[in-house]
Amino acid sequence: MHLLIQAIILGLLAGGVYALMASGLTLAFGVMKVINVAQGAMIVAGAFLSYTLFTQLHIDPFVSIVLLAPLMFAFGVVLQLVFIRPLRSDEREELSLLVTWALALGIEGLLSVIYKTNYRSTITSYADKSWNVLGYRLSEVRVFAFLLSALIIVGLYVVLTRSEFGRSMRATVQNPTSARLLGVNVERVSAFGFGLSLATATAAGAVFGMIQPFNPGSHYDLISRLLSIIVLGGLGSLGGAIIAALFMGVTEAVFAAEISATWSSSTFFIVLIAILLLRPQGLFGSVERGAL
Amino acid sequence: MRRFRVQLAFGVVVVLAATLAACGGSSSSSNSSSTAAKSGKPLTIGVSLSLTGDFSDPGQAAKRGYQLWADTVNAAGGINGRPVKLKIVDDASSPNQVVTNYQSLITRDKVDLVVGPFSTLLTGPAATVAHRYGYALVEPAGGGPKVFALHLNNVFFVQPAPTLNCGDPFVAYIKTLSAADRPKTAAYASLDDPFSSPIADRMQKQFEAMGIKTVYKTIYPSETGDLTPVVEKIAAAKPDMVVSGTQSQDAYNQVKGMVQLHFSPKLLFMSNGASSPVEFPSKVGKNNVEGIFTCGDWFPTSKANGNAQFVSAYNQKYGGTPLEIDSTSAEAYAVGQLIEAVAKKTGKVDNQTIISSLHNGTWPSVEGNISWNADGAPQGSDMLLEWVNGKLQPVYPPSAALTQPVQPKPNWGSG
Repeated sequence: MHLLIQAIILGLLAGGVYALMASGLTLAFGVMKVINVAQGAMIVAGAFLSYTLFTQLHIDPFVSIVLLAPLMFAFGVVLQLVFIRPLRSDEREELSLLVTWALALGIEGLLSVIYKTNYRSTITSYADKSWNVLGYRLSEVRVFAFLLSALIIVGLYVVLTRSEFGRSMRATVQNPTSARLLGVNVERVSAFGFGLSLATATAAGAVFGMIQPFNPGSHYDLISRLLSIIVLGGLGSLGGAIIAALFMGVTEAVFAAEISATWSSSTFFIVLIAILLLRPQGLFGSVERGAL
Repeated sequence: MRRFRVQLAFGVVVVLAATLAACGGSSSSSNSSSTAAKSGKPLTIGVSLSLTGDFSDPGQAAKRGYQLWADTVNAAGGINGRPVKLKIVDDASSPNQVVTNYQSLITRDKVDLVVGPFSTLLTGPAATVAHRYGYALVEPAGGGPKVFALHLNNVFFVQPAPTLNCGDPFVAYIKTLSAADRPKTAAYASLDDPFSSPIADRMQKQFEAMGIKTVYKTIYPSETGDLTPVVEKIAAAKPDMVVSGTQSQDAYNQVKGMVQLHFSPKLLFMSNGASSPVEFPSKVGKNNVEGIFTCGDWFPTSKANGNAQFVSAYNQKYGGTPLEIDSTSAEAYAVGQLIEAVAKKTGKVDNQTIISSLHNGTWPSVEGNISWNADGAPQGSDMLLEWVNGKLQPVYPPSAALTQPVQPKPNWGSG
């Protein structure tokens, strides 16, 4: 029982970080119908930037998020204007796959040139520390990462539900034509949505760099997991992505600890296939637009 | 107009991506020229290396070894007066890409010789392609049983012992411990890889024969990013000793998991990853390496043929200290040395001469004096290395040891 509970704790903590990573991806799809396969590469870029600030300027990775997120938000807006906006809306889903894949390869190449392809690891003074709570080990880095993920996701939720910008964004998700007729600047909302997506990726990257060694090619494993998470949760559903990420984290950890590590990664995909057979739109997805 | 903008945007992205990906180290050729080796037609040697992907750390180390050898041999006049030109391509650590690369190097680039990639996983497919075209494959890092099980006469693994035997010195060392000091229980966790898991399997059999009880065993796939749940299961089994069949990233993740769960076994052996003198402490923290055992085929203080020259030239070219040289660089350098030795002895440097020559006698290199069986498996033995006082050092057998082995392993953070 102790082993099971410890595995669930580990899974929830890991799932929280994946939830943060996936939130930007599902946001981009919900708002713009863009399948951003560069999200993994952007997370890795965030990990490298945070690593640089930590090793060169001794800025804590959590603090670096405050500096990097606004910059990457602006970069995301520029990327949307240059690469995504020119895509025809009726072909956007298909073409965005190609364009963002090219972006992912470009980011990977750029990182390889700058940082080389060796693995890196952001080792903070608290990286090795953990709390003992009733006999269960809670890694400080993972708890901080989980709390940060929760904070950002709650912030994202508040922005989406309580602010004028959030209402515009949700209106755009539900029906871009009607939103435009009601005076919403859909293009601007889309650009900000992509910027927001990149800002969350940067935050997730800073956390990722503390948890696992990474190199420019780490985005391949990441994006396959993230796409699976948002498909399971329902494309465009923020709540669905969070539930799916936590589910994936717990499933893998429990399976690895209780049954076999050999099949732990496959378990999630078996569940994914089963759910898609029964509910093709995912757990919280909608057949129609407007699930965010 | 709108369609044109779409095409323009897409074109810009694709060109940018292709350019950057190419710059990222996908391929390079190095004609390590010198004044001494300007005559003669270049001897082009093709190699596919894992410059990106899971094996990029050791792949880069192998690249440094090959390039250093090419520089050294060219400075000395080349091979039989021919300057060596390396054609290096990236396989992204993929067994599929490595096949394409060697096929392309041999049939399109028409290289004179090919040498091996990094890891058993990639050497098996590479050896098959090389064999099909009658090329020798002198290789630095494909020493797992799957390579020798191919029964190809063109393969020569340039390390003292087959990879499968990597754990033998550790087993031999454990046998020297008194009954009180010997571990009673062991756990085994390995990467699903033809290099890694066979080592742990062999050690498990040897330890079980000694009466050491197996309390847990698992094999995890390479895509397992977080190994903490696996470590949690190991910790719950409370083994005296952990034997990890690791490569590189998974070794880092295992240690990180153990540190965070405050699980420090009395004895910890890792087949690879922990053997990298620079990369390992930089990934797991220099305070967390103390007392970890690994195996080694090469060490900077070795008296083997040309080793002092290799160590000196390496530090001159790449900086650092001798203790920071990755053994994979020495392995790659030794591959070049053997080609050079065959050319010197026979006056020829074609594939058939290399194959027939290396199958006869013992050949000196920085990896020691090596001879091979018909399948390319070397006939010597490795040594046991341990992180002692923050440095990776040989500790067994006593003839190669620079210091006494430390056990039980100190707690994490005590380095």
